Amino acid sequence: MFDLLAQGLGDFLQLKYLVPLLVGTLVGVVGGALPGITITMTVIMVLPFTFGLEPLQGLAAMVGVYVGGESGGLITATLIGIPGKPSSISTTFDGFPMSRKGEPGRAVWLGIWSSFFGGLLGGVFLIATTGWLAQIALQFGPWEFFALFMFALSMVAGLTEESLAKGLLAGAFGLIITTVGTDPIMSVPRFTLGTDFLAGGFPFLPVLIGVFAFAQIMTDIERARSLAVGDAGAGQIVSLAVSQMKVVGEILGRPFLLLWSTFVGILIGVLPAIGGSAASVMAYDQAKKLSRHPERFGTGTPEGIIASEASNNANVGGSLVTIMAFGIPGDAVTAVMLGAMTIHGIQSGPLFMSQESALAYGIFAAYLLAHPIMLAIMAIGARWFLRIVTVPKSMLIPVVLVLCVVGAYALNNTMASVWVLAIFGVVGYGLVKLGFPLAPLILGLILGDQIEVNLVRALMTDSNLWLFVTRPISALLLALAVGSVVFALWQRRRSRSVRTDEPDTDF
Amino acid sequence: MTMRPTRDMVAGALGLVLGAGLFALTWGLPQSPFVPIGPDFYPRIVLAATMLLGAILVVGELAHRRRPASPPAGGRNYRLVALTFLAFGLYILALPGLGFRIATFVFVAGLQILLDPPRGAGRWVAVLALAVAASLPVFLIFERWLSILLPRGAWTGI
Repeated sequence: MFDLLAQGLGDFLQLKYLVPLLVGTLVGVVGGALPGITITMTVIMVLPFTFGLEPLQGLAAMVGVYVGGESGGLITATLIGIPGKPSSISTTFDGFPMSRKGEPGRAVWLGIWSSFFGGLLGGVFLIATTGWLAQIALQFGPWEFFALFMFALSMVAGLTEESLAKGLLAGAFGLIITTVGTDPIMSVPRFTLGTDFLAGGFPFLPVLIGVFAFAQIMTDIERARSLAVGDAGAGQIVSLAVSQMKVVGEILGRPFLLLWSTFVGILIGVLPAIGGSAASVMAYDQAKKLSRHPERFGTGTPEGIIASEASNNANVGGSLVTIMAFGIPGDAVTAVMLGAMTIHGIQSGPLFMSQESALAYGIFAAYLLAHPIMLAIMAIGARWFLRIVTVPKSMLIPVVLVLCVVGAYALNNTMASVWVLAIFGVVGYGLVKLGFPLAPLILGLILGDQIEVNLVRALMTDSNLWLFVTRPISALLLALAVGSVVFALWQRRRSRSVRTDEPDTDF
Repeated sequence: MTMRPTRDMVAGALGLVLGAGLFALTWGLPQSPFVPIGPDFYPRIVLAATMLLGAILVVGELAHRRRPASPPAGGRNYRLVALTFLAFGLYILALPGLGFRIATFVFVAGLQILLDPPRGAGRWVAVLALAVAASLPVFLIFERWLSILLPRGAWTGI
């Protein structure tokens, strides 16, 4: 294991791997700092540039975006109180008050170093557990895989803020999309309406890009009072000078907080399609509950910044574990990475670690190295990144849309993928307007084919349906799936009894 | 008293209609005597679940009989959303004919003007500079370095 990791780290001494990682991390930091541009959007924009690269080059760039993006959001969150991305929201709670008290350097660097340590601890977990989990997954038969995918879907649907039925319905829409095209058993065209356009089914990446990019961009356009300016008042340059030793000491002097926040981040990362914002909010909440001075939270306490930033970077490591061990994306960013792997002919899942070990350890190395690179980028440019926020959305939106088109077109050099992008752009926006959560839809879209193949394979091997509940792992996973649905129902009932008159947005 | 459909009702109805429509199409799928599980097996399970979930949403909303909520606070600029979709549609329609460089230049410049009409010469320069930057360098980066050929115009030849 260590030889492969050393080899992976050695690869990054070559400029051809180091440059994409560096550029990816820089782009990630910038994308993370821009309010309204999420990491998913940033990784979507970077995606077309990776098509012409070697797999490790492309994936290194994406890992860089992911790590850089998780850290980039903290600059605006701490200095001007505007989170660059949803997972920085809890960083604003204490980062901004600390800045306003005259300690902007301390606030920013507490965030940066917490991201660094949280991310590296997440990396240790990633490296230590992925191979082991993949070994376990190799023992799975079609019954277990089917049950695992059902568990993932039910959990994601259950964790959405909207109703459980709506979350599950969104997941079902994702599954329906995968049934269009040729069926995997008899190669019979399904729901193609006799057209060539639908014969191959909907390609995954244009659907993903269309749904996510348009849902966000159009929502921004509809809500914005003005797209003419970025966030005013962010143009000034502030001094972030601070004793680095003191800041590092502040973080390492709270080892339990750092480890617990990292653990929360990893745990949320491992669970499919939840994302960093839940991780940071949950870690912040835990830190407040476990603190001897909970009343200080929200007033500029370092604990709040450490908890939020350590957890959202550790979340990246957790997300990478699930995609590399099981082929299940931890969130939308890893979903795009999964699509990029497919383009390069790489099958993620349990065999990935054994069949593509050089690539797998290359990803580990990229993840580890992205953290010191992020640190260096922040050290050089943190105070300048604040100026990025002044870029008007009216300039960003057209460029993002063009890169979405390039990403879709470059998949197979045809306009068909661009049409799919446009169709699902409208669909994505429509679903958001109807209040559908997008995470279950995307997970259904990713897992749909695998669910069908494993279900049919299981039934063709043995038509006895009881095997799904008599095989121990399958039974456990299905029980967890049912448990997550029951838990979601219980939780909603409980919150409904607390909030009696919840406002409902009419269509 | 008539009841305005809530968002969840429309969402549920969408599930019901989509599920039922596609379920009907599964009857036409061919079967094989050699393969016990046909191409209609899995879609029917998914579509039945879709219809069930759609029905749960609709019935749940009807049962709660929630009073219509007031519209969301703050104006929503749906006109601008529609125009952005229209501009995007025109862009991808024109792409094969005009080619990436011209179509992208026009789209990026046009959409910037639509989203934030420029006032002053400086802003116009910025609009045009971004339009050039998003079309020519992007085209060159993809063609020269990444070996990906972006569309050349069938009408323009470039």
